[in-house]
Amino acid sequence: MPSASATPASAATPAVEVRGVVKRYGAVEALRGIDLTVNTGEMFALLGPNGAGKTTLFSILATLRAPTEGGARVLGHDVVAERDAVRRAMGIVFQEPAIEQRLSGRDNLLLMGLLYGLPTAAARRRADEILGQLGLAEAADRPAKTLSGGQRRKLELARALVTDPKILFLDEATLGLDVDARRGFWGHVRGLAAAGCTVFFTTHYMEEAEVADRIALIDQGRIVALDTPRALKARLGGGVIRLKTDDDTRARAWLVEKNFTPEAEAGAELMLLHADPAAVLPELLRHLPVKVLRAEVKEPSLEDVFLKLTGRKLAGDEAPAALGAGGAPGGGRGKGGRP
Amino acid sequence: MMLRGIWAIVVLDMKRFWLEKARLVAGLAQPLLYLFVLGKGIGASSQMGGADYQRFIFPGVLALSLLFTATFGAITIVFDRQVGFFKAVLVSPVPRAAIALGKISSGALQAALQGLVVLPFAPLAGLPLGLGETIALFGGIALASVTFSALGVAVAARFTSTTVFPIVSNAVLLPMFFLSGALYPLSGAPRWMQIAAHLDPVAYAVDLMRGALLDKFFFSPWLSLGVLAAVIALLTWLAVLVFRRGEDDSSLGATQFNWRR
Ligand SMILES: Nc1ncnc2c1ncn2[C@@H]1O[C@H](COP(=O)(O)OP(=O)(O)OP(=O)(O)O)[C@@H](O)[C@H]1O
Ligand SMILES: [Mg+2]
Repeated sequence: MPSASATPASAATPAVEVRGVVKRYGAVEALRGIDLTVNTGEMFALLGPNGAGKTTLFSILATLRAPTEGGARVLGHDVVAERDAVRRAMGIVFQEPAIEQRLSGRDNLLLMGLLYGLPTAAARRRADEILGQLGLAEAADRPAKTLSGGQRRKLELARALVTDPKILFLDEATLGLDVDARRGFWGHVRGLAAAGCTVFFTTHYMEEAEVADRIALIDQGRIVALDTPRALKARLGGGVIRLKTDDDTRARAWLVEKNFTPEAEAGAELMLLHADPAAVLPELLRHLPVKVLRAEVKEPSLEDVFLKLTGRKLAGDEAPAALGAGGAPGGGRGKGGRP
Repeated sequence: MMLRGIWAIVVLDMKRFWLEKARLVAGLAQPLLYLFVLGKGIGASSQMGGADYQRFIFPGVLALSLLFTATFGAITIVFDRQVGFFKAVLVSPVPRAAIALGKISSGALQAALQGLVVLPFAPLAGLPLGLGETIALFGGIALASVTFSALGVAVAARFTSTTVFPIVSNAVLLPMFFLSGALYPLSGAPRWMQIAAHLDPVAYAVDLMRGALLDKFFFSPWLSLGVLAAVIALLTWLAVLVFRRGEDDSSLGATQFNWRR
């Protein structure tokens, strides 16, 4: 047990190592054998639909739960055998709020400092410092429940940052925030990453996942793909055609007959992967035996990748469609804008 | 880390307590009701005489106040499990034992504060407080507060439901209070009630405080001190154990993961 895990974290040590982790809650198998490695300094995203096991994996890495089978290390420390070392080294923003709503932001951060063993004066100084950095200084003396949603999420981040963690876990940290608040939040996180902090996060917002160096797609407790965003999308090859017709069923039958391969379940539309969508679209429009109401050609999204790999949609229907307009980081790149 | 952790938990709880300082005033209602309504009413018709009876139950009412305040403090443990901040506490390097000890300390502190608010009513109940009595009583309040808080935490640590714990605690607290001799002299009580009182930590706390005020003891004060100290040690140990066990759901086996493989 004390064997290899006693090694201190160094540049060569991965930030996170997960080996064969299985987690069962009674009969529910939330994780069914997860293996992954997050490198030091990396921004790593975990994407998956509701119930895929993301929060479960984070709880294990954050030492709140023990794996049923397998093992995990954070910065070289075993999450079970060396809990204290893991706790000291990491910061986590939970999916649910984890600040004392009745106390002020300043008090919340002061308490966090005390919990991590800082003397009162140092904890107070650290709280002020972080509140300043995150632009929360004026709001910091009100009870946390009176803050805006965005300020509250930032306070969650501040809480996780009190002890200057070398690795940050963010579980849907921006859930429910508007585009501006999210951009502000991620601006700060990218700054931390640039300063060398490893960031391991989950999100339901695709454009947030695009900032990751690598992405693991998780479904029903298993990793179904792990790669850079670009490589994941390249797996689909070419691009995506989306069609809305006045008779999708007939259109689908026709497409199958002509040896196209429409995806099984793309919502109220037909979705088609093709090596050269822009070239094939005019032909489709000319020959389809139904009336086409809408046609769209685009670079495959991570959603499309997930759909292709699992046959299921990634985010629920509440996935915000309007977000694309925000000029998401990494958005306009690639071959999407071909004339 | 242990002392710092205890300190952090105490600061957290006292900050939250301070937001509800109105509780100190509201917490007066129950003891004053016992003292000036029940005490007056029963006292007027008992052989003890009105003033005597009020004087007699004052330490008992004080104990009641400490008992309920301390247990109410322990309820935060159950509430905490349902709100997020506690999760942040759980992923911090604070030892689980420090959480238990911090909770016991802050509960005791809250109870003692409530006791200090009840204390000024002693003269109205016919007990002018001299310096000696006050000091002795402070000692009694401190000991009783820690005992009751440890009791509350040891019980609360096992509960996750905010609706079940208050019911259970009432089912435990009221019998403990009634059997303690807070409202009647144990010396005149039936044999079985005397035996029950011997098993009731509240009885020793009441007797100690009553002795400090009226110089009348049912138990030997040394016995009371010894019993309370032992009860505190036992309950604290239990509470620490429960918090440690909560560390995770499957600690066995998982620790054995072999990274060499
Ligand atoms: N404490 C628990 N007891 C029993 N089952 C649980 C528990 N926590 C999670 N589960 C189950 O484990 C599975 C994975 O849950 P988890 O919370 O990890 O999913 P998630 O990927 O975080 O989902 P979401 O995107 O909705 O947050 C789900 O089927 C869930 O119902
Ligand atoms: Mg989740």
